[in-house]
Amino acid sequence: MEDYPEELRTPPVSLVSLVGFAQHHHLISTHLLSHQPPINTLALPDLSKLLLLLPKSNKPPLPVDSQPQGQAGILKRDWLVKHRTRIPSVVAPLFSSDQLSGDPTKWLQVCSDLDNLKAVIRPRNIKFLLIIILKDGDDINEDRFLALRRRAELDAKYILTFNPDDASQLQHSLNRLGSTFAELANIYYRDEGKRIKTRVEKKGINSIDFNIRSCFKTAVYAEFRRDWAEAVRLYEDAYHALREMIGTSTRLPPIQRLVEIKTVAEQLHFKISNLLLHGGKVKEAVTWFRQHNTSYRKVVGAPEVIFLHWEWMSRQFLVFGELLETSSASIQNISSLVSGTTERPLTEWELHPSYYYQLAANYLKEKRSSLELALSMSETSTEIDASAESVVPSVYVGQFAQLLELGDSVTMKPLTDEEYTRYAIAEGERFQDSFEIIALLKKSCESYGNLKARRMGSFCAFQMATEYFTVGDFSNAKQLFDGVASHYRQEGWVTLLWEVLGFLRECSKKQGVVRDFVEYSLEMAALPVSSGTDARPFRFKEYSPAGPPSFSQREVIHKEVFGLVCGEAGSASVEDNNAIKIGVTPLHIEIDHVSPLRVVLLASVAFHEQIVKPGVSTLITVSLLSQLPHTVEINQLEVQFNQSECNFVILNAQKPSFAAMTDEERGHQVESAPLRLVTNKWLRLTYGIKSKKSGKLECVSVIAKMGPHFTICCRAESSASMDDLPLWKYEDRVETYPTKDPAIAFSGQKAIQVEEPEPLVDLYLGASGPAFIGESFMAPVTVSSRGHDIYSGELKINLVDVRGGVLFSPRETESSSMDSHHVELIGIVGEDESQLGSEKFEKIQQSFGLVSVPFLKNGDSWSCKLEIKWHRPKPVMLFVSLGYSPLSDDLNAQKVNIHKSLPIEGVSAIAISHHFMLPFRRDPLLLSRIKPVHGSEQLASLPLNETSLLIVSAKNCTQVPLQLKSMSIENEVSESESSCSVQDGGNDLLRPALLVPGEEFKKVFTVVPKSVSSMCRLGTVCLRWRRDSESGDPSSFNIKEASVLSRHKLPDVKVELSPLVVSLECPPYAILGDPFTYMVKIQNQTQLLQEVKLSLADSQSFVLAGSHNDTVFILPKSEHILSYKIVPLASGSQPLPKVTVSSGRYSAGFQPSNTASTVFVFPLRPDFKMDDVGERRIESITSE
Amino acid sequence: MIACVAVVGHQNNPLYIQSFTEADDALKLHHIVHCSLDVVDERVNNPKKSGPTLNETFLGLLYPTENYKVYGYLTNTKVKFIIVTTHLDVRDADFFRRFHAAYVDAVSNPFHVPGKKITSTTFAERVSTIVKSFGLSSAG
Repeated sequence: MEDYPEELRTPPVSLVSLVGFAQHHHLISTHLLSHQPPINTLALPDLSKLLLLLPKSNKPPLPVDSQPQGQAGILKRDWLVKHRTRIPSVVAPLFSSDQLSGDPTKWLQVCSDLDNLKAVIRPRNIKFLLIIILKDGDDINEDRFLALRRRAELDAKYILTFNPDDASQLQHSLNRLGSTFAELANIYYRDEGKRIKTRVEKKGINSIDFNIRSCFKTAVYAEFRRDWAEAVRLYEDAYHALREMIGTSTRLPPIQRLVEIKTVAEQLHFKISNLLLHGGKVKEAVTWFRQHNTSYRKVVGAPEVIFLHWEWMSRQFLVFGELLETSSASIQNISSLVSGTTERPLTEWELHPSYYYQLAANYLKEKRSSLELALSMSETSTEIDASAESVVPSVYVGQFAQLLELGDSVTMKPLTDEEYTRYAIAEGERFQDSFEIIALLKKSCESYGNLKARRMGSFCAFQMATEYFTVGDFSNAKQLFDGVASHYRQEGWVTLLWEVLGFLRECSKKQGVVRDFVEYSLEMAALPVSSGTDARPFRFKEYSPAGPPSFSQREVIHKEVFGLVCGEAGSASVEDNNAIKIGVTPLHIEIDHVSPLRVVLLASVAFHEQIVKPGVSTLITVSLLSQLPHTVEINQLEVQFNQSECNFVILNAQKPSFAAMTDEERGHQVESAPLRLVTNKWLRLTYGIKSKKSGKLECVSVIAKMGPHFTICCRAESSASMDDLPLWKYEDRVETYPTKDPAIAFSGQKAIQVEEPEPLVDLYLGASGPAFIGESFMAPVTVSSRGHDIYSGELKINLVDVRGGVLFSPRETESSSMDSHHVELIGIVGEDESQLGSEKFEKIQQSFGLVSVPFLKNGDSWSCKLEIKWHRPKPVMLFVSLGYSPLSDDLNAQKVNIHKSLPIEGVSAIAISHHFMLPFRRDPLLLSRIKPVHGSEQLASLPLNETSLLIVSAKNCTQVPLQLKSMSIENEVSESESSCSVQDGGNDLLRPALLVPGEEFKKVFTVVPKSVSSMCRLGTVCLRWRRDSESGDPSSFNIKEASVLSRHKLPDVKVELSPLVVSLECPPYAILGDPFTYMVKIQNQTQLLQEVKLSLADSQSFVLAGSHNDTVFILPKSEHILSYKIVPLASGSQPLPKVTVSSGRYSAGFQPSNTASTVFVFPLRPDFKMDDVGERRIESITSE
Repeated sequence: MIACVAVVGHQNNPLYIQSFTEADDALKLHHIVHCSLDVVDERVNNPKKSGPTLNETFLGLLYPTENYKVYGYLTNTKVKFIIVTTHLDVRDADFFRRFHAAYVDAVSNPFHVPGKKITSTTFAERVSTIVKSFGLSSAG
């Protein structure tokens, strides 16, 4: 597109001219340029310049038939540029106001200037207007103005005044100027268009040349007027008329005539496409281009300059592609356009520039080949005469002429067709088409890449690569070919791949890269091209470097490459120009799981078992498959494992001489077998191997040695997880299993697990029974050897929460988890009961420990005890594993592991409970008991200054007897500060009390609160106990002989003052018929008068005297005593008459409990003997 | 005239490709068939673009090259039929329907493994008959 002249590429802009008063031109011209539509200005300092520009001798264009033959053409080259830069549509002379209104000489000058101007522009119909420059305060004489109008023969509106100094009016007058210029220019271009039309009609000339020229000119005028639709229509008319000229016109020699027509057609087509695309009519533009293409594609012209046609075609595509690309930014959505007509639908690619670039490249290739042909034909006439150098473009578009210098004058001589042909060939030779083609294809390829059209892109890349190949740039070619080849491999387009590989092979040959050459050759030889779905044989010349894709060609390549690598000189020289030689350096090719060379050699490995014991032989099948067309002899096969001592070598049994030569793998297993690889037939080799090392044994690779310097290393693949062969998977071929037994083929893996040797060591965990919270639980561990020595043994101890189920690894619990600290591994006690040194016991954290075990000889044993402490009841699993090496102290030596685990439950040994009791027959009124307040319910209430009893009981919850050593209550605050005093009710234990399972031990404390408080702290019960080791319990040896302290915090109590205290007093026993006094004492502890109602119920067993019902008032801080005299009537335990006391103030009633109101009545006065009290009490408790 | 017919599998691998030209452009036809798969992909992935051809197996003109036109057809098993013609307009799916029937018969052979290349000679003969008859009927 850049080749086209500027005036063709851009839309035309109206041209006007300013004459005189150059100082104002800049102002006006910049304004006009920014006008919408813009106007170009031709600024002339005075009238004489205009006369030079438009010479007076302007005659109307000659009729076509009068033009001399040979010099005529369709379009003049400079016509467009002339109208765009030289011929103004409007001329505007500038006059100053004093020129008009000044002295008569000046006025006369103006008049003559006007006459001259009119004389110049009238014949050309150029419009004009007058601009009068005013100065401040100036005014034009009305008469002069009229005279001027008459003189200029102008309408008043075309005489404009302009005052550059008046800033307020300046913009307004400039706008007026602009619109008047635009209007006049429009009229001029319209009139010119009309004039041409009428001339055509009037003359009725049917000369096509003239017709085309008129249409073109009118179209350009329409473009000046921005009437795009009209312009397109006219251009199309011109274009169609031009197409008809082919074959009818006889004006020029045939070759040059066609060149001219095509050049003009190209210009017209460019204009039309450009206008359509800028109008957003993409679909129309593409359709138009298609028509243009079809109407000219066949017009190839004379055979000797056919390359001109292809060049022209290429240019059409290129330019249209460029146009599409530049305008595609304005096209919103190309895809929505794809619908086309039903007749001929538009396809996706036709809307993308890439398509056009690709075709442009194709035509350019066509051009190159025809140019080469033309050159070879013209080689005979080598005399490149100088005349070709003096050929220049002539005045007409698409014509050329010879420049002849005759003295000073220069004349143009028309060319003959022969001269022109010579010129064209000489011109064509100068261009480097290949680079142009590559550039076009690159553009296309990138553009297709953006559209995600990978196949199109690949095709472009392939063409680019072939172009590089022809130019001789092998490295670029190879890089591109490689990309393309991988794409074709993916999709299985074998024929295309064959072609690309052929090029690649040739590239590597030219570059002398042996390894690549061998790789590409091998891949080609193994390609599935033989089966040929296409019955028609491919012709050879299509596939220049590769040859036809056929079985025979594969055979040829196979022989060639094996001849080369095996160093058989005879077959290596298949081609004379074979520059490839295999030197003394060994050639090594690697084939992995994704390599395209898997078709050449595929190694499938299957162990027949999945797990094997160390030192036991297991079978392994190594299967090889090749798709090469001929049988391949392998000299030596080496199977490599990750444990290198297992590697083995298979020698070809049929080549014994070779075997002797390569016996370098001493110490390795050496086998021999016939190693012949037949096409598409598995070569199955089964051998037994032994591994002494535990762990994973994996077959890594199989290395096939084929010649003295050539090896192929093939990564081993498990037969169970082997991918299909690429490319061959689409072929209809016999598929067999890599192993004889199909089951192994489906399950065989290339790796096997070698087990650890059986540990000959016993590990005992001796602990049993539940552990109790707080005690140091001992878990004995014994390691005893039964056949192995133990070197560098190490015990790993792990405590795991059973419920969580997670095995705590040291790292996880490090971070957080207070939970794990409920059970703690405290330490390890050695056999000799002494704590092991810290260097032997590396305790990593609460639930994990490491202990090193000393060297143990066969038969020895070693033991230790693990000390574990529970803080909360929790079942745990104790894992102990011993790792050792049976052979040596070496750190890297084979380790043997043995694992043991033991569940241990941690339980609470003793349950402590307590309750409060009030003193016998003394009942203080506690208001909080009557009206329980929410929230304070939990707290027990105790009366102030009264003695309450606290009974603490400890129950053995375990299955074993326990010894109780002591029980006491500890208070954090000292006695004096404490708000209440707690004291042992009796003596401490004289000797440890034995508590059998389920038994309860009770102890009484007295509590006397001394001050009122809502939260009185009582302290903590401390209980010392241990397992009763004397009873011979088998689990007792677990326990360290130390007592355990269990603590139980007593809840806080509330201390309150009771307003009333009722106490009943009566003797401890009564005697039948013997009267006694039964007193009810009511104590008022308040400052208030208390009203108390009393009632006494009769009892059958007693006779009593006193009031039954009464209401008494008790004075503050005083006591009221009611006393009854009672005579018992029956013996035994008898209920006393029931007293009911109720307080009106607190609306609380009181009734003594049954035990409190029962008294034992003896039939006779008893006779007591006192004994040792302490002894009896213990007795009674323990026997309970 | 039909220059080339091809059956392309759902992984875009060629299953059957046969050219019917006398010229030495078999390889070029392979390239054309391969490139046309891009258009098939484009149409299949953006079905709304093709508008009326939604749910239609006949894909119409895929793309024009200088000398050939490429038409496509997509079966419901994502097997593509591509034909390359030398400026012969294929307006309906009639040809493709016959081609499809031949293909269905060929793959119904119990010895044919789906996804592999079609090597049946009967199929090849049937296809060449269809191609010949089509060339004749449209020429006439």
